[in-house]
Amino acid sequence: MSAIDTMAFFDSLADEMNAHSERYLSLGEAKMVVEVVIGRPASDFRARLVFEGVSCSGVTGPGSAPDADFRLEGPLEAWQAMFDDIAAHGHATGRYTINSLTLLGHEIACFGDDPMGLDKFSRFNQTLQEFLDGAGYVAAGAR
Amino acid sequence: MAEDVAFADLPTESPLGAPLDWAWLRGTRAEWGIHPKPGPRGLTMLDIATGTYGEVPDRPPHRSMAPRGADVDDDTADMGYILNRKTDVWADNVVELYEEAVARQWSATRDIPWGELRELPSDLEHAMCQLCTLLSEVEMIAADLPAKWMWRLNHDFIEAKMFLCTQIMDEARHAEVFRKRALANGGGLLLSRSGPTSLLRTIIEAKTYTQASALMHLLGEGFVLDIFRMGELIAPSDVEKRIFRMCMQDEARHVAYGTMHLRYAVEHDPDVAEEIHEALDVGEQVLIDFGTAPDVSTALAVLLAGGTEHVEDKGFPLSLELTKKQLTSYLARCERAGVGRLERSSIPFDLLDIDIDALRDTARSKR
Repeated sequence: MSAIDTMAFFDSLADEMNAHSERYLSLGEAKMVVEVVIGRPASDFRARLVFEGVSCSGVTGPGSAPDADFRLEGPLEAWQAMFDDIAAHGHATGRYTINSLTLLGHEIACFGDDPMGLDKFSRFNQTLQEFLDGAGYVAAGAR
Repeated sequence: MAEDVAFADLPTESPLGAPLDWAWLRGTRAEWGIHPKPGPRGLTMLDIATGTYGEVPDRPPHRSMAPRGADVDDDTADMGYILNRKTDVWADNVVELYEEAVARQWSATRDIPWGELRELPSDLEHAMCQLCTLLSEVEMIAADLPAKWMWRLNHDFIEAKMFLCTQIMDEARHAEVFRKRALANGGGLLLSRSGPTSLLRTIIEAKTYTQASALMHLLGEGFVLDIFRMGELIAPSDVEKRIFRMCMQDEARHVAYGTMHLRYAVEHDPDVAEEIHEALDVGEQVLIDFGTAPDVSTALAVLLAGGTEHVEDKGFPLSLELTKKQLTSYLARCERAGVGRLERSSIPFDLLDIDIDALRDTARSKR
């Protein structure tokens, strides 16, 4: 499995979602653009994830269109701990779900300029969680 | 206009001698022959909003149940609608939200892994049951309120009416899922106090729909959305986590509609802002009474602390921290709706250690 602060890792999550749309069909279509920011000592890693329908239609670098509805930002260690929990259990548990982490905001926080964009975090939360939980399948496939 | 030459020789009377009307065979006034194209999701309400069918009048000429865009008889009965201005109910995102709501419906019976519930320590089960008792009580107000107003809503605003129908279904499901959770794990329904009822009465008795929307969508559901977010955080198992996440999604749609409805109303009729402020002046006070009610705050604190043992050193401090976030989110939504509350609200921000100056700076930078 690729390191989590690489485009290859988020590409693998998108591929996992797009290959298993049946897991997302029952949740319904989503429409949101999420920017992931992984803090590193030298320079932050940034990826923009475009969700349309029941697929992740794009994983791009920073500054690319369209604008993100909200931004998930935290240090590498926090993201690593979240993905380690997902890999260990097959899905995020306890306070490692993306809602729990961002609600506390101590490690990973959710930012946005527009409350309507920020509210998309809640409107499509189960889809986003399933997408991140895809790391569990990716990890299992890599073992 | 469609050609009607081919239908020129049709009979003028039925076999029983009744006069016949073939006017409908002439087709519609303008859009006949247009074929809206389905997108990847299918044929959405946005796809069919072509030409005049997509034009929502500011003041509909009729008060009947005729579908918008049909040729309507002048003597069609008046249905007694009182919400006859677009500013009364409209939001620029309402069609998108309707489609989203339809696409993201779920079942409290089928989509929650009830079989994975596990026995909890007694204090946690009691706290979860108390929270579910409260949520089962308050959620139905967001069904009753749209139902109270929908039949007074001009039928030309059909998309808004359809969205409110989805909200009613959502809230029925929320009442269902929290009732089920309270009863499913060996616990039951616990205390119902007068505090929530006061809040619910304030909402249902709002004098105008826009005031009602401010109280329910922006204030009430905004706060409940954050309670759902807290619920997901403190959920003792994946079952409750799933429940709260699914409810969050629904609630956030309602908040999104209300925020943008208020914005639309204020942008097109600035005088309505004072009407909204007056409702929120009252609503915020009632909500504070509700939020600080002993049974609500203690149940949340016990869940946040993971039990009664650490309720003082962990539960209450975390609860206060999350309350600040709730209020900050609410104030940001008010700004977005065009009814900034920073200078108007009587919420004790100082007491809650909320940095009101920072919020003012943020608000100014976005205006």
